Amino acid sequence: MLALDIAGLEMRFPGLDTPVLSIDKLHLAAGGGLAITGASGSGKSTLVNVVTGLERATQGSVSWGETEITRLPTGRRDAFRAAHIGLVMQDFHLFPGLSAYENVVLPVRLARRLKPAERERALHLLEITGIARPGQPIETLSRGEMQRVAVARALLSKPGVIVADEPTASLDRRIGGEVADLIVRLARAEGATLLVVTHDPALVERIGRHIVLDGGRIVEDAGKAEAA
Amino acid sequence: MMGFILADLRRFKGGALAVVVLIALSVALSVAVTLQERAVRLGSARAAEKFDLVVGAAGSETQLALSAVFLQPSPLPLMSGAVLEKLARDPRVSFAAPVGFGDSADGRPVVGTTTALVAALSPTLAEGAVFARLGEAVIGADVPMRLGAKIKPMHGAADSGGHTHVELAYTVRGRMAPTGTAWDRAILVPIRAVWQLHGMGAEAEHAHDHGDEAPDGAAAEDHDHAVHVEADAALDEHFDAETPGIPAVLVKPKTMGDAYRLRQEYRGETTLAVFPAEVLTRLYATLGDARSLLLAIAIATQAIVVAAILLVTIMHVGARRRQIGALRAFGAPRRAVFAIVWGELFLLLLAGFALGLAIGYGAARAISAALASTTAVHMPVEFARADLSLAMWFAALAVLVSIVPALSALRLSPAAALRA
Ligand SMILES: Nc1ncnc2c1ncn2[C@@H]1O[C@H](COP(=O)(O)OP(=O)(O)OP(=O)(O)O)[C@@H](O)[C@H]1O
Ligand SMILES: [Mg+2]
Repeated sequence: MLALDIAGLEMRFPGLDTPVLSIDKLHLAAGGGLAITGASGSGKSTLVNVVTGLERATQGSVSWGETEITRLPTGRRDAFRAAHIGLVMQDFHLFPGLSAYENVVLPVRLARRLKPAERERALHLLEITGIARPGQPIETLSRGEMQRVAVARALLSKPGVIVADEPTASLDRRIGGEVADLIVRLARAEGATLLVVTHDPALVERIGRHIVLDGGRIVEDAGKAEAA
Repeated sequence: MMGFILADLRRFKGGALAVVVLIALSVALSVAVTLQERAVRLGSARAAEKFDLVVGAAGSETQLALSAVFLQPSPLPLMSGAVLEKLARDPRVSFAAPVGFGDSADGRPVVGTTTALVAALSPTLAEGAVFARLGEAVIGADVPMRLGAKIKPMHGAADSGGHTHVELAYTVRGRMAPTGTAWDRAILVPIRAVWQLHGMGAEAEHAHDHGDEAPDGAAAEDHDHAVHVEADAALDEHFDAETPGIPAVLVKPKTMGDAYRLRQEYRGETTLAVFPAEVLTRLYATLGDARSLLLAIAIATQAIVVAAILLVTIMHVGARRRQIGALRAFGAPRRAVFAIVWGELFLLLLAGFALGLAIGYGAARAISAALASTTAVHMPVEFARADLSLAMWFAALAVLVSIVPALSALRLSPAAALRA
């Protein structure tokens, strides 16, 4: 588990004179949870991209624990994300033509040889996320099942941080609720710091701490005290 | 990695197959052109090297060389038999063999000559013995006949309205070893038998007991009934000034110097002397031009195909930006993403190249086989050292071409790629 520290962060895109994201200071304790809400276009995804190193910040710093990822070169940033951050996205980004199991282990396999322990863990994760047949071709799974596979993939490398960008937005309410529950439960069980962008009040409720973005700024920071 | 590439290719089966076929066809074209040109060149050079010098009546050099090397049926002018006599007695000549064309049997050329040529073509016979009487024949390796078979020669070729010589049927006495030349299809008979059949020369006059006017030269064809050939008569390979006219003499000079001097001497008003190999080389220069043209077309096709592939992959990569972004977002290192995009394209290029090589080789083999069955000249389809460097160039080009889309795939940040 890793603590998040943001200082003087600014994100601008060419052609826009106001920053899309502007966060003076944000601290999230290691193992803590943070829900991010805000209107569409308020900068939630941009924040996720910057804290996960998917995009380079225009200004300021983002640190996970001792590592200031805003200073890492692209390759090292990719490597840091692979090792420490489990990602779950609204569109699952699974790879057709591969099985559920193969999708879970793909990122590791593309980086290096899969260890037997990781193989075990992948199968175990699929089991606890409720995927009965690890060998099933991914394109034949239901959407709810696909997101579960994505959750299993995010957890494979025992990341200290789990970041989810609207993980339930493309699922119906009941299935979405199940997936949300799964993410919160597993993050707690693994002791990972959890960052979730969501519109789901129930999920926000369960995570505890909750920030609201508007125009790229934090306009509300609630439940800091109860943060787990 | 490989598994991912293969899974990806399976998803784009149709497109992948189209790319492979496209490359294969263009590669096959260049391979076939290169191999076939080489096969024809090598094959006929080998066919020509048996005959150092050919002497004939003044006329076309090319026709003389082609007739002697490929036994192409063409009406060569006759030259005086005295030339043969002079050549046969020349101390610089190791042998001089007359060749009399014009007859055929079952579409195969019947060539009148001497035992010296048989010995030169096939120092040891595959079976049987060389002809010893006027009515005997030696056949080339590819002639499907048995020893003892009878051959009824035809004047001219059957398809050009020739007629059969009824006066004589040759008996096959021997078969030559394969030479890889047009002579493998030929039926060799004593030159005097050919002369007599056509009512030429002194012997023919003796045979004409009916008192017809003595036929002379090739104008004697109407007199076939009157001709009589003594099939059992012994060979006479001694030629003198009375020797009838002949289309060509194959000459084996003793030394290179002799060859050049002889060629010089026999280039005159009435005779022509050529090195068949040299004539062929000149012909191949023309053939080479045709090859350059074909090859240029083939290379242009390849360039177009490569450009098309580049376009397809760049579009493909564009369409797959999300996939590439996702691979990186979820922790695949850049080198892996690069290897996937590059490997996929390289694999397609390689498969197309291999398939094209096979198709081109097969096509060249088929063409060579077809040529060999009509000319009997063995045309070897073989790869040469030079091809290796050509293949290297292709490989290098393939590597470079497939790098472009791979690099373009990594240009974007994963977030930007995911948004695409
Ligand atoms: N690459 C970019 N270039 C220009 N503008 C961008 C770029 N990426 C994002 N933006 C802008 O930044 C703002 C925030 O976008 P972002 O995707 O972070 O919003 P969001 O809060 O995630 O919205 P949603 O709830 O719809 O996902 C938007 O106004 C968007 O137009
Ligand atoms: Mg968003």
